[in-house]
Amino acid sequence: MLTTRPFTYAAPTTIADAVALIDTGGPGTKFLAGGTTLYDLMKLGVETPAAVVDLGRIPELAIVDTTGDQLVIGAGARMCDVAEDPVLLHDYPALAESLSLAASQQLRTMATVGGNLLQRTRCAYFRAGAPFACNKRDPGSGCAAREGIDRVHAVLGVSDSCIATYAGDWAVALLAFDALVDVVGPGGERTLPVADLHREPGDTPQIEHTLAPNELIVRIRVPPTDTGRASTYLKIRDRESYAFALASAAVGLAVDGDVVRNARIALGGVATRPWRARAAEESLIDAPVTADTARRAGRIAFADARPGRHNGYKIELGARTVANALLIAAQRSVR
Amino acid sequence: MDRFPRDTTGSASRSGFSGRLHVQMVVNGRDVERDLDPRESLLDLLRERLALTGTKKGCDHGQCGACTVHIDGRRVLSCLTLAAKANGAHVTTIEGVAAADGSPHPLQQAFVDYDALQCGYCTPGQIMAGLACIAEGHATDEAQIREYLSGNLCRCGAYAGIVAAVRATAAAQEGGC
Amino acid sequence: MSQPLARVDAFDKVMGAVQFGADRVPPGLAHGALAVATIGRGRVVRIDTSAAEAVPGVRLVLTPRDGGELASAGFVMAGGHGFQSLQPLTDDHVAYRGQPIALVVADTPHAAAEAAALVQAEYEAEPLSVDLDADGVEVLDQAAVIPAGFFPDVDVGDADAAFARSPVRVDSVFDCPPQHACPMELMAAVAEWNGDTLTVHEATQNANAVRFGLATQLGIDVERVRVLSPYAGGGFGNRNSLQAHTCLAAVAARRLGRPVKLVVPRSQMFHDASFRPASRHRVRLGATVDGRLQAAIHEVDQQTSRHDLFPANYVEMTSRLYGIPNFRGHQRLVRTDVQTPGYMRAPHEHPAAFAFECAIDELAYATGRDPVDLRLANDTGTDPVSGRPFSSRHLAACLRRGAERFGWANRTLEPGSMRLADGTLVGWGVAAGAYPGSAVPTVARLRADDDGTVSVQVGGHEMGQGIRTAIVETVVRDLGVAADSVRVDVGDTAAVPQHLTAGSWGTASALPAVHDALQELRRSLDLPPTGAVDLRAALAAIGRADIEVQAETRAPGQPPEAIDRLRRGAMAIAGPEFPTFTAFSFVAHFVEVRVEPTIHRIHVSRVVSVVDCGRVASPVTAASQVGGGVIWGIGACLREGSEVDPRYGGFLNADLAEYLIPVNADVPRIEVDFVDEPDPHLNALGVKGLGEVAMVGVAPAIANAVFHATGQRQRRLPIRLENVL
Repeated sequence: MLTTRPFTYAAPTTIADAVALIDTGGPGTKFLAGGTTLYDLMKLGVETPAAVVDLGRIPELAIVDTTGDQLVIGAGARMCDVAEDPVLLHDYPALAESLSLAASQQLRTMATVGGNLLQRTRCAYFRAGAPFACNKRDPGSGCAAREGIDRVHAVLGVSDSCIATYAGDWAVALLAFDALVDVVGPGGERTLPVADLHREPGDTPQIEHTLAPNELIVRIRVPPTDTGRASTYLKIRDRESYAFALASAAVGLAVDGDVVRNARIALGGVATRPWRARAAEESLIDAPVTADTARRAGRIAFADARPGRHNGYKIELGARTVANALLIAAQRSVR
Repeated sequence: MDRFPRDTTGSASRSGFSGRLHVQMVVNGRDVERDLDPRESLLDLLRERLALTGTKKGCDHGQCGACTVHIDGRRVLSCLTLAAKANGAHVTTIEGVAAADGSPHPLQQAFVDYDALQCGYCTPGQIMAGLACIAEGHATDEAQIREYLSGNLCRCGAYAGIVAAVRATAAAQEGGC
Repeated sequence: MSQPLARVDAFDKVMGAVQFGADRVPPGLAHGALAVATIGRGRVVRIDTSAAEAVPGVRLVLTPRDGGELASAGFVMAGGHGFQSLQPLTDDHVAYRGQPIALVVADTPHAAAEAAALVQAEYEAEPLSVDLDADGVEVLDQAAVIPAGFFPDVDVGDADAAFARSPVRVDSVFDCPPQHACPMELMAAVAEWNGDTLTVHEATQNANAVRFGLATQLGIDVERVRVLSPYAGGGFGNRNSLQAHTCLAAVAARRLGRPVKLVVPRSQMFHDASFRPASRHRVRLGATVDGRLQAAIHEVDQQTSRHDLFPANYVEMTSRLYGIPNFRGHQRLVRTDVQTPGYMRAPHEHPAAFAFECAIDELAYATGRDPVDLRLANDTGTDPVSGRPFSSRHLAACLRRGAERFGWANRTLEPGSMRLADGTLVGWGVAAGAYPGSAVPTVARLRADDDGTVSVQVGGHEMGQGIRTAIVETVVRDLGVAADSVRVDVGDTAAVPQHLTAGSWGTASALPAVHDALQELRRSLDLPPTGAVDLRAALAAIGRADIEVQAETRAPGQPPEAIDRLRRGAMAIAGPEFPTFTAFSFVAHFVEVRVEPTIHRIHVSRVVSVVDCGRVASPVTAASQVGGGVIWGIGACLREGSEVDPRYGGFLNADLAEYLIPVNADVPRIEVDFVDEPDPHLNALGVKGLGEVAMVGVAPAIANAVFHATGQRQRRLPIRLENVL
């Protein structure tokens, strides 16, 4: 604990060099963007990279273009800047809110929108190291959280080996809008939906995403949607600010007359990965958004929830969060 | 200024990775050059090697805001910033905020006037965050200031004075433009 | 003086110029890091430091093998100087998870941290018990295990019989979790030897304890130890005594022949310093049908450690809050496997007030009386325990003025009866609080120079409460000199003895000493006892360039030996019972909460607090201190709880992201007012304590407001979303 193992450092200036360096560095080489997760976990001794490739000096990673049909957001753009992009603020308030409600302004100034997608869990048993068993940190060691203090842990997507909550906000909002990520590796570029980026823990909670170690997220793209304007990111937490979500919901609606034509619902703070609630979305189609339909959608979103010892409240809280977010989004659809 | 850390070990450069770095930066207007261990935080560099101890360590994990400094005019947590990341940058700490003649910045004076502190330990971080808050345009009303300063914990609970000091300083700047 | 004085050290603080303990960077400095135990109880059977020693830059690794060099400083509440009697690294015993088992010292902080993580220990684990209900705890009657006279239970009249007779009865149980003070400044020491003389730079509230404790631990003459603590980055009781890391830094510095800085990381601070212990309160109130209290029974179980008995002191305050003729207080200690708990702002009074003042609110509803009226109806001028008068008591004025400022008359009694158009539930709650008035012997030395400078050296520590400002204000008010001509030196053992500054007695003890020294100065300069002074002229008149005087003060009724105790490094606290009176500060808090319609988040939207702290010594810092106390109450009621996993011991949420102290956005509009009536008995300046009483009663006022909004009684802290969902 409370250590940073020695590592070597490189700061390339092009994406190509960065990808090449990952292979040069060999196993244990990691990309470091803002460093707000990785360096933090290195100080805790949870992450122990032998070498670090600092992505902070690659201008092409930070290009943002929100003027076209789709939003194109460079992975190296800073969270605080993207949070105030006028197009996001006006046309995708859920995206902007998911960023501005995350962390603190200092952390948002350091952290990048690409790195934030891969933010790691806040599970105290994961972070604190010894003596706690943690399959994510030390595969096969067990999960201290399952029989422990699991108040902030997940109720969706959990497995017997891990119940750690995905802590981020931005990826939740992106998931609601079917965002894509472009990644580049030694073999060139490929694209995958944000929906395919994160993994449920299953038996291998140490593997949190589907990227290869030598693949780098270079940009995020949000395709056109009719659900962007009437959207919101509602985050419920223990403090009025600067805290992780106990439950959050990214919601977008397309309302025609009184009835919903298209609905997007994604959940944060309650699941082991950014969680899309498709059945809840479908329950709203061709229905008006009322307190009742919103509450019903919320309940559907948590139909498969599996409570632990102290986190059962998240099922009711999460359902109400979804319901409230739907009502906020519906109001925005008539403005 | 060279923005990229130079390897000073001479051995690792072929791979592109270095185990010992040479960095240059401008700290409070003064050129600084140091050799670094890559794992060194900007906070430890400032405090232990540059004798700039106004920047405080309250958690070392990006949770309290006491270590807030500016890099190229923007607020960051120096505890979670690899010192290597500041290579080639302009770093401003609480010691670099006052005017050249030593008179305090208006926000520093406002912190005195509104008694925006008690023990004073979080104060440098609060002021660096407050300066950024104003520069970012996030000091237009009290609720916004509270939100954008919520990354800076104050255990004494001097928050009301902090908000008043930032608000007054921002208002004076707006009035002055 | 019409204009209140600004905080005198504020300028240096905003410039980043104030030097806290770890800000010292002497030449040749080495850095320490601790390795800590990962078991909850047991023994270290093997410790391998070879990997740690192999880290480049490592100069020294201390382990229990080096134990012979160290001794316990003793527990501060049992005549010693340490926050606990257990000194890590003296033997192989592990009393709690997080206990240090090795110190590594290296040339750089990162090498030290890296090496500390490489210390390998093998343990023999034993079963552990960490919460009040665990198997294996040991429950002790406090009265049976702590010497008579110290922290006694209270027994007035026949409370059980009177309770049984009472037509209206309340019987409720309240739970308060362990909490951590989390001052922003980390625990840290810089130890420097000059020959056989040790200087320690460390933020503390008790430089005497650090000095005398280190002398004991290191086996050296106390004259060879100097402790400097000009500023502490928050105290709140967390720095009340000697910490375990300090002597480790001193031993390492002596071995290496170079200064050593040891900064305790935040997660280790949750285990390497005291905390507010868990407590459970059963409160029974008996009253007449119109709400006149006939009996109260307040029983408390409080956590302590296996190795020390941290005294419970809850009923001292609750027995004085109202004029209750029959009161029985009973306190038990529960030994658990933790570091020794200790004092944390309003240490016992906050939990006690939460329990008692929530019960009073329950009584108000049981009798149908307005909660303010009920409290006023039970006010008293006489201490029901001792039968003597209070030195001053303006609780009724606090309640009346607070109600007026808050607009309490517009409250409707029925829970859930006040709501906004959008369905938001509004709740208004009130609670009272009190905190004992204490004082300690104090030495003040005062020097006047013919350049007009007045230098004050006095026993006391500046933790942000504003003791410097109050001292300067006292000198300025007395002599009529300019504030910037007054220099204040606190927290330096080389100047005058430095008694523990805590329990809100700091200012109330330092100011009388300064006052007496000022009088002595006037006598020495042949000046009248009051009126503005021209120091240059006065010095010229007696033909001197400077003059130095000294005064020693004791609390009312304290014997002269109290000063000897102070000089020997012992504690000498008097109060709240004095020979002819009982002294308490009082407060009333009025709180508005808003509870969101569906999600039920609780927002504290408005607070009015009115305080009776005697004369207000420094209006600027006093108002800030009360605001801070209210924020502490909000944190303690709605946010803060130290989580314990009984399988592992220690504290789980041991950082500032998971242990949730209030942030700026949590803070509502807080209106602070003072009765500002000088106390005629406690000291010549009429001041009573302020820093602690400010927090007492905030939590129950919030909980009572939550009840008023929702109709649900919340008897367990913290009150979180899941409790009101």
